[in-house]
Amino acid sequence: MSAGVRVWDPLLRIAHWTLVASILAAWITAELKLDAAKRAHEWVGYAALAVIALRLAWGWIGPRYARFRQFVRSPAATLSYARAVLAHAEARYIGHNPLGGWAVVALIAMVAAAGLSGWLSVTDRFWGVTWVQELHEALGNALYFLVGLHLAGVAFTSWRHRENLVRAMLTGRKQAPRPGDVD
Amino acid sequence: MKPRFFLVALALCGALAPFSAARATGLATCDSGSRESWQPQAKLSAILKDRGWQVRRIKEDGGCYEVYALNEKGERVEAYFHPRTLAPVPTGSKDHKG
Repeated sequence: MSAGVRVWDPLLRIAHWTLVASILAAWITAELKLDAAKRAHEWVGYAALAVIALRLAWGWIGPRYARFRQFVRSPAATLSYARAVLAHAEARYIGHNPLGGWAVVALIAMVAAAGLSGWLSVTDRFWGVTWVQELHEALGNALYFLVGLHLAGVAFTSWRHRENLVRAMLTGRKQAPRPGDVD
Repeated sequence: MKPRFFLVALALCGALAPFSAARATGLATCDSGSRESWQPQAKLSAILKDRGWQVRRIKEDGGCYEVYALNEKGERVEAYFHPRTLAPVPTGSKDHKG
């Protein structure tokens, strides 16, 4: 067990990596020209929605760093953090930093929207309805874009604070708080 | 420092974009030649409606007409038809009956 502080609880980590797998699988099954892939795509979508429901609940009742209240900051605070990033003077956060916190919110919302629109598109009522199909596709693409931003943010923050945040999401542990860090 | 962040972000978005733009082209292809020889979608739609189908959408996919509909039993179907003959094109699927 390395030194440091336990930040990401096991359920949060499982939810995170299940979502990673779901999005990856959704992407692959959407591109494959196979009927079986279409059905798999549907089930992957339901799995992602289940994870989102779990994560939402965990955001209220979960441990400290899993809670939305802990990491969703006001627009003003987020803007001032963004300015600090540009000035190369941002503090290290033990949990999510303000931009990362909003990335979590945006990703959850986008997975939910993509999942629900996909669900809609296989109901009798909306089956074959053009705008539903196009909406689902657009939301999927928007999700890939957000994932790209999220990865860029993780890479940047890891580099800025000399801390491997991908490993932190695997082990749950981050480096011990240092003076000037924000809890 | 700043440019590097944006470069990383751009590179990642750029890397993902072509994949997201690539569209699944569906389950069948038709060797259907020039478009002048095709029968109109309206005719296919009329034939299917006579069969008791509720046609929701007809579009081109892989040189075929791809139809989203509820069939005569009210089941969701995604079926392919040859645009010249309007004959069903098998997709090797048991869930999406042609």
